[in-house]
Amino acid sequence: MTSRPASERRTILVTGGTGTLGVELVSRLARADNASVVVLARGTVRPRPAALPPGVGTLTGDVRHGPTLGLDASDGATLRERVTDIVHCAADTTFNRPLADARATNVAGTQAVLAFAKECRHLQRMACFSTVYVAGRTTGCFAEQDVGGASGFVNTYEQSKAEMEAVVRDTMRELPIAIYRLSTIIGDSRTGEVGGLNAIHHALRLLYQGLAPMVPGRETGLVDLIPVDFAADASHHLFEREFRAGATYHLCAGAAGSATLGTLLDATMTAFERYRPTWRKRRIARPAIVELETYELFVRSVEEAGNQVLLQATRAVQAFAYQLAYPKVFDSHRADSVLGPAGIAAPHVLDYYDRIVRWCVETNWGTQP
Amino acid sequence: MTRVGIDALTYYLPESAPTLAELEARGALRGPASTLAGFGFERARVAESESHVDMATHAVRALLSETNTSPDEIDLVLYAGALTSSSTMECAPAPAGSVLQLRDFMDFFKYPASQLQSEFELVNASVAGIDQQGCAAIFSSVRLARATLLAEPDVRTVLCVSADRLPHGTKREVVYNLVSDGACAMLVRRESERNRIVATHQVTKGAFWDSGSLENEIIAAYFPTARTVIEDTLRKAGVTLDDIRWVIPHNVSLRSWEILLGLIGCPREKLFSANIGRVGHTIAADNFINLRDATDAGLLHPGDLLLLFTFGYGLNWGCMVLEH
Repeated sequence: MTSRPASERRTILVTGGTGTLGVELVSRLARADNASVVVLARGTVRPRPAALPPGVGTLTGDVRHGPTLGLDASDGATLRERVTDIVHCAADTTFNRPLADARATNVAGTQAVLAFAKECRHLQRMACFSTVYVAGRTTGCFAEQDVGGASGFVNTYEQSKAEMEAVVRDTMRELPIAIYRLSTIIGDSRTGEVGGLNAIHHALRLLYQGLAPMVPGRETGLVDLIPVDFAADASHHLFEREFRAGATYHLCAGAAGSATLGTLLDATMTAFERYRPTWRKRRIARPAIVELETYELFVRSVEEAGNQVLLQATRAVQAFAYQLAYPKVFDSHRADSVLGPAGIAAPHVLDYYDRIVRWCVETNWGTQP
Repeated sequence: MTRVGIDALTYYLPESAPTLAELEARGALRGPASTLAGFGFERARVAESESHVDMATHAVRALLSETNTSPDEIDLVLYAGALTSSSTMECAPAPAGSVLQLRDFMDFFKYPASQLQSEFELVNASVAGIDQQGCAAIFSSVRLARATLLAEPDVRTVLCVSADRLPHGTKREVVYNLVSDGACAMLVRRESERNRIVATHQVTKGAFWDSGSLENEIIAAYFPTARTVIEDTLRKAGVTLDDIRWVIPHNVSLRSWEILLGLIGCPREKLFSANIGRVGHTIAADNFINLRDATDAGLLHPGDLLLLFTFGYGLNWGCMVLEH
C-alpha cells in the first residue's frame, strides 16, 4: 500500500451498501467532495433506484465469491488500482441461519474482502462492521476491548460475527482496519421507517397477532436498540473524521439510552392500541417475561405437539429473545469519547420507539404503502 | 366478617377408564398417544352409559347423604355446564348427527337443574343454569353463590352442580388435553366451617369466541392472561403466592401447569397434580374433584390457603382463593 496526497480523489468501496445501514452510510459518504463511492451489489439485490444518491456507482458482485468478490475481471482490476477506502457492511444478519451458511457470508465473505483489500495498493483505511452481540452469552458489562463468546453464543449470527472479528483482528497487522460493533438497529428515529425487517420486527408482528405468549428475560433487563440514523452518523464520523486503525468501537445505546424489557413491552402494547384502536378489543395480554427454563419448556411443548404455527412463532422469537436471558450492558467509552465532542449520541429508545411501532402497524410491517 | 365457603363437596366419575393406548385404538385422539403421555395424561374417564344428568344426580345424592343435608335446606341450585349439550336433557335415541341428541323442539326446555330439583325434592330451592363459559362455568357458580349468600339473608345454602359428558364419538383430545366425563356437587354456605371463599376473579375475552379457528391465538393468550388473573386474584385476597399452601388445578396438561408455575414463580411442589394423569380433564369439575381428593388424602389443614385456577372457552379465565 502506498500513500496518495490527501487532495487526490478517493474511491470508497462499500460492501452491503444496499442494506439497512449501507444505504444510510453511502448517502453520507457520497457527500464528500473528493470521493467516489462504489457499491458492491449482488445481482439479485439491486439497490432501489431512489435509495442511493446520484453519482454513486454500483458494481455487481458478491463477497461469497472469494477474493474476486464476483467482480468482472476488468472492474476488479480497476477497483484494486483506485480503491482508497473499504467499508465492509455486507453480512448475513439472519439470526438462525445454519452455521455453515452464516459463516459463508460473515466469515468467508470477510476473508474475501480482506484478501481483496490486500491487493489495493492505495488503501488508506477499512471499516468492518460487526455486532455488539459477539458478546454472546456473556452477562454484565461488555467493553469495546473485550472479545466475546467465552460463554458461547445465542445464535449463529453472533458466532459467525465473532469468528469474523477474529479474522479481522489477525489482519490488522497488515491492514488499517477499525471494527464498528453495532447494536440492534430498529429503524429511523426521525420517520420510524424500517429499512429492513429483522428479528425484532418479526417478534413485534407476532406480538401484534397475539402469537407471542412469553419472552425469556427479566422485567428490568435493559434492551439495547439503536436507530439507523445514529448508526450511520456515528460510523461515518468515526471512519471519515476520526479513523483509528486497530480500534474497536461500540455503537450502542448503552444503559443511558436503553429501556427495560418490561418498559418496551408496555410501550409496544400502548402503541398498538394507539395506532390500531380496533386491536384493543382483542385484549391481547402483554407477553409474560419468564426465566429461560420456562421459555424452553414452552418451546419444547410446542415442538412435541407439532403445532406448526406456534413452532414458527416461537422460533422467530427464540432467535433473538434468548439474548434477553443474558442481561448485559455494552460499554462504549471509546466511541463516546470521540462522538461526544461531535455532538453525536444515540437517542434514548423511548424518544423514537413509538414511531417505529407506528410505522410497522400503519404499513403492516412494510407490506402496504 | 361473614364466612361464605364450600362446606362440602362430592363428585362422580364414570367407572370406565380407558388408557391412552385404548383411546388411540378407538380413534378417540387427534394425535399420537405418546404426545399426551408426555404432557402427563394416562387415562380418561368415559361415561359409556351415564348421561350428564345421571352423573349430576349421583354427585348430588352422595352430597346430601354424606352431609346429612335435608333437601329443604337447599335455597338455590346453580347448575353449571361447559357444553351446550349440558344445558338440556338427553332424549336418546337421537337423530343421527345430532350433537344435542334432541328429537323435539320442546326438548330444548327440559332442564337438568329442574330435574334435579324434582328428583331430590328441593322444594325450597329456586334454580338457575350457568353456561357459556366453558370449563370456567362452575367457578362462576361458586362466585354467584357467594354473592347471593352475601346479598340475600334468606338464602343460607346454595347447591352448585356441574356435569359434562362429551357426546359419543367425539374426540377426547382438545388442544393437547385429554377430556374426561364427570360431575361435582357442592354446598356453599354462610358461616361455613371450611373452604372460606376469600376472593374470586374472572376475566372474559370475547374476541376469542370462535374457538375453532383461533386455536393458536388461544394457546398463546392462555399463559400471560392466566398469570395476570392469578396475580389479580391474590391481590384481591390480600395475600401473596408465598401464602398459598396448595395450588388446586384444573386438569389440563401437567406440562402447561409447569409452564404456568414458571410464569408465576410458584414451586412445583405446591401443585396438587395427582389427578391429572389418572382422571384427565373433566371439563368443569376438575378443581373440585381435586379439592375433595386433596382433602381426603389429608393434605389440607385448617387455615391453609388454596389457589384454584381454571380456564374455559369463550375465553374465560377463573381463579379463586379458599381458606381451608
